[in-house]
Amino acid sequence: MKPDVPLVLNGIAATLATHVLPELRTPFGQQNVGIASQLCAMIAQEFDRAAARLVEENRALISLFERAIPVLDDGPLREQLQQAIATPPGSDLRISALQAENDRLRALLITLHAQVEEIDTPEGSALNERIWDELRESTRRRKLTSGLA
Amino acid sequence: MFKAVWEDEGGRRSQEFVLRRDPPASLVESERTLEYTFYRAFQDSPVPVPRMRWLETDPAHLGAPFFVMDRIGGCEASWRTLIDPSFAESRARIARRMYEVLGQIHLFDWTRSEIPGVIDPPDPAECWKRELDYWEGMIDANELSPQPIARAAIRWLRSNPPPPPKRVTVVHGDYRTGNFLYDSEDIRGVVDWEMAHLGDPLEDLAWSFMEAWEWARDGKKGGIIDREEAIQVYEQTVGEPVDRDALHWWEVFSGVKGQGIWLTGAKSFQDGRTPELMMPFTAYWLTNFQDEIILRTLGRGA
Repeated sequence: MKPDVPLVLNGIAATLATHVLPELRTPFGQQNVGIASQLCAMIAQEFDRAAARLVEENRALISLFERAIPVLDDGPLREQLQQAIATPPGSDLRISALQAENDRLRALLITLHAQVEEIDTPEGSALNERIWDELRESTRRRKLTSGLA
Repeated sequence: MFKAVWEDEGGRRSQEFVLRRDPPASLVESERTLEYTFYRAFQDSPVPVPRMRWLETDPAHLGAPFFVMDRIGGCEASWRTLIDPSFAESRARIARRMYEVLGQIHLFDWTRSEIPGVIDPPDPAECWKRELDYWEGMIDANELSPQPIARAAIRWLRSNPPPPPKRVTVVHGDYRTGNFLYDSEDIRGVVDWEMAHLGDPLEDLAWSFMEAWEWARDGKKGGIIDREEAIQVYEQTVGEPVDRDALHWWEVFSGVKGQGIWLTGAKSFQDGRTPELMMPFTAYWLTNFQDEIILRTLGRGA
């Protein structure tokens, strides 16, 4: 058994901030070590949640696309959404693979949002609001709970 | 920063200078000749700037173009000092001066300076489009992942363009707390002109209001002044009212521009063009916060 990665990263952050930084004499060195410390603390959070966040978001986007299809006319975008829904999630659970899937789905979301903004029907307006809900939710998923902002 | 010591007919002399060299990569793509020209234009004007000394565009000497300017001593630059309780007595004075100086930047007659020699003045009606095209291009070139919130904002900006400004002015491009030198009495030097250009003056006002610069997280712009007071000081200086709807457009634009800056830094680190930890730091710290800011500015926040 090894110490958890976030624990190690937070330990590095604390050591840099409390033991290394006070020993440095140049503003340049102090600034760099301060940044390295804070970066470690943020990556510690991101490491633990990244896979869960990406899986949750990728599922949410597929669900959104399912709701969008009946609102869209036949066309290339509708086909792309149907293809995205029909594609089973990959078995590769590495962050890089989940991120690549997320990138594909979020690119499709941009195209969908632009098209939905042009649909002047109650269904189109409702879908537009649903997309804004998802965009708000995407920032909640990415928020750093102990970050600076 | 460095201290030079030399001898001439007047005897032994010494002075502190600041050298700025083109970095291999940074948060923004900038060019030293342009920055040098804007600094020089404001010398001996009501806008305080450090005195420029030399510009060298030949990269053979230091590996990249650079310029040297006088160091303004005895000043603070950090926003941390500005919002510190120990600075409370001077804060309101500096805050008002911040917006008086901004007004002076926008009142400056750039047509009689060297600025038109280094930059094409935009038509007033094209100001917004030139800037939006540029920053959308930066996002196109630098995003490591799709940006649905910034893209939605860009579509809104293109669908709701602002009216042209009454006159094209110098735009500092990064006017905010942290980018001027000050002491307890006054602002002594406006610095970081690397994003300076000609355009709509409301761009600067909106940028200074961005939530990312609310350092004290208490709603005060730049951590030091209420929004309406800042607008009032600015209006008194320039002698014209601020169009609030146009200002809102530029505030949404500021959100997109901010995201363009953080994405540019992240890409330069990812590509190995810079080892500076500031680039991934701002990416982790600010890109999601910037998306939240865009949502709130569009009236779509939580």
